[in-house]
Amino acid sequence: MSDTDLGRKIVVVIVILAAVIAASYGIRRWSARDKVEIPGVQEVSDETRSVTLYFAGRDADGLVAETREIPVREGIVNEVKAVMSALLAGPADGDAVSAIPMGTAILQVFWVENTETLYLDFNKGITMGDGSTAEYYTITTIIRTIGANFPQAGRVQLLVEGYPVETLAGHYGVSKPIDIRKWR
Amino acid sequence: MDMKRHIPAVAAVLAAASILTASAWANDPEKIEPVRTLGVVYGDGRATENVPLYRLAEPSEELFISAYDIARIFRATRYWNAGARKLVLRVESHSFMLTVDTRVVVVDDEPVLMRIPVSYANGSVMVPLEFVSSILAPITLEQIELDEERLVMTIGSPRYNITSVDFEEGEGGTRAVLTMTEELLYHIDSETPGLLRLKIYGGRLNTLKINATEGLGLFNRVRAEQTGHDAYLFFDVDRSAETFRVEFIGPSTDNRRRLAIHVEKGDLPEIPDVDFAGRRMTEILDDSRRQAGREIVRVAIDPGHGGIDKGRVGPNGLMEKEVNLDIAMRLRDILVSEYGMEVIMTRTEDVLVPLMRRAEIANSEGADIFVSLHCNGWFHPDAGGYETFFLSQAKTEEATRLAMEENASVQFEGNGASPEVLDDLGFMLWDMVQNEFVTESSELAELIQRKLGDAVDIRNRGVKQAGLIVLKGCRMPAVLVESAFLSNPREERLLADRQFREEVARGIAEAIQRYRARSSVPGAGE
Repeated sequence: MSDTDLGRKIVVVIVILAAVIAASYGIRRWSARDKVEIPGVQEVSDETRSVTLYFAGRDADGLVAETREIPVREGIVNEVKAVMSALLAGPADGDAVSAIPMGTAILQVFWVENTETLYLDFNKGITMGDGSTAEYYTITTIIRTIGANFPQAGRVQLLVEGYPVETLAGHYGVSKPIDIRKWR
Repeated sequence: MDMKRHIPAVAAVLAAASILTASAWANDPEKIEPVRTLGVVYGDGRATENVPLYRLAEPSEELFISAYDIARIFRATRYWNAGARKLVLRVESHSFMLTVDTRVVVVDDEPVLMRIPVSYANGSVMVPLEFVSSILAPITLEQIELDEERLVMTIGSPRYNITSVDFEEGEGGTRAVLTMTEELLYHIDSETPGLLRLKIYGGRLNTLKINATEGLGLFNRVRAEQTGHDAYLFFDVDRSAETFRVEFIGPSTDNRRRLAIHVEKGDLPEIPDVDFAGRRMTEILDDSRRQAGREIVRVAIDPGHGGIDKGRVGPNGLMEKEVNLDIAMRLRDILVSEYGMEVIMTRTEDVLVPLMRRAEIANSEGADIFVSLHCNGWFHPDAGGYETFFLSQAKTEEATRLAMEENASVQFEGNGASPEVLDDLGFMLWDMVQNEFVTESSELAELIQRKLGDAVDIRNRGVKQAGLIVLKGCRMPAVLVESAFLSNPREERLLADRQFREEVARGIAEAIQRYRARSSVPGAGE
């Protein structure tokens, strides 16, 4: 009786041990995987930075600048994502409008330092604003916002779901990187 | 008691689950070691190298190469979409879209099936070697030979048929001699001052080598560009050059054909006129020819958007492409029947015409002015009015020259002319075409804006300058008219109204007529 009890206890201990080892291994693999797959996840510091965002007047008569305090993030890619998210959230001023079509989201940001080029990858929402004035201001508010906050960036390449497109809505060529200082 | 009995069972399930999970991970090819190497021999001077090859699907013998290595070897531009796990490689003018765990490769929009799916390991997309041998190699210009037995790949000298451009000083001028391995048709134009643009149909050339050719005499520089089918040579010609002629020299003892472009300062002696076979041609480099006093006979009208590209759609469903086409037809009728002008339409039906093609149509049909018709759109319903655009001045000639030199120096550094750099330059040159017409375009825009003001009763937003793609490359004064805002409910109603459309068309027609009257006064064009 005590023999079988002991035997049963040993089996239970072994099984539990195996479970714990395997589970912790699995968890380690999971967390390691998380780090690889989601580079954007990071701790947010308490420090903030003041950034300038560009929107447009509601009569399409020009740019409207607003400032925001956003948490400082590590690296230009995370900073650009934060600034773009703030830009996509729209203006505080009731007489201004966001010049980026509703439903636009920023998917990815890439930074190529030696060519000073920022690659901004948006979802298809960015192509949904039609009319040349709308299209012009969509590009302009993005370019001006990047230009105002990231002096290290010389050029911006707009991408739609990973690909360069000829135009966003049929009027302005965006297949090549846009020179921030020359865009008018 | 009951609980106690359950513990082992629960533990066993947990253990089994964990082990299963762990073993599943273990099969995930996270870090794999190369099994073979591929010797790569380059024909362009790069040092021979060994590139690692991997085996991913264990039972299969198929070898994989990392996409990083492919991109480097073939100087491809990579675009990666991590969400969709898609990688696009741009090699020359072709694009190849690879999707992880998929056998289909999209080659220039055509799906091609491979035997083995693309995979992912070591932080890179892994591509079966068959992609190189059976998909990439057959369509690129570079001669790629992959020996799958010996695992050696030679990227030889491509099948160039234009092998060199040489400059030679001669009496009174300079000549550029192109050596070709076969007879090729060509077209040359001197539309842009200081630039001779030579298009060689079916030409294939080594842009790197030709761009490294030093200018001589009246040729400051030559720049080569390769598109999918044709080759272009842009000769930057000294301003003191006055005439040029092209001479085709038939097969010589080495079976090579030569095309000589003579550029001279003075008059050329006795040269036969244009030969339609494209063998021999004489032209005069005369900048003033196109200037003052050009009569406006032929008008190109470009109804914006079309086909699947609806353009802006108003809140009540009115489609921009339809309004544009209707106004364009009305404008055409007025110009033809009332003013006796000829009209070229970039489209007369609900079809999509690519943007670049629109300027090409106007250029090839010899249009004297280009008018693109659009409706505007905005994010707030309040915005409204009409406006007329002409193209922003592209970089000045000096800046272009500088950019050319910068590009050239990048190429000389040996890191390879990225297609992007060359494209940039092509883009700039394309931009510059409209530069000569900025003054005339702005005049035409002003007139249209003024006449529209007489014709319609909505807000005048003025004449504006912008980098509109459809106006680039127009070799004539070119404007784009935004007649009203479809996003504005009141203006959408107007745009739906036949009367309003007729008024817009009439306003533009009157402006064109006025512009013609002004331009035909000698000296007024300037």
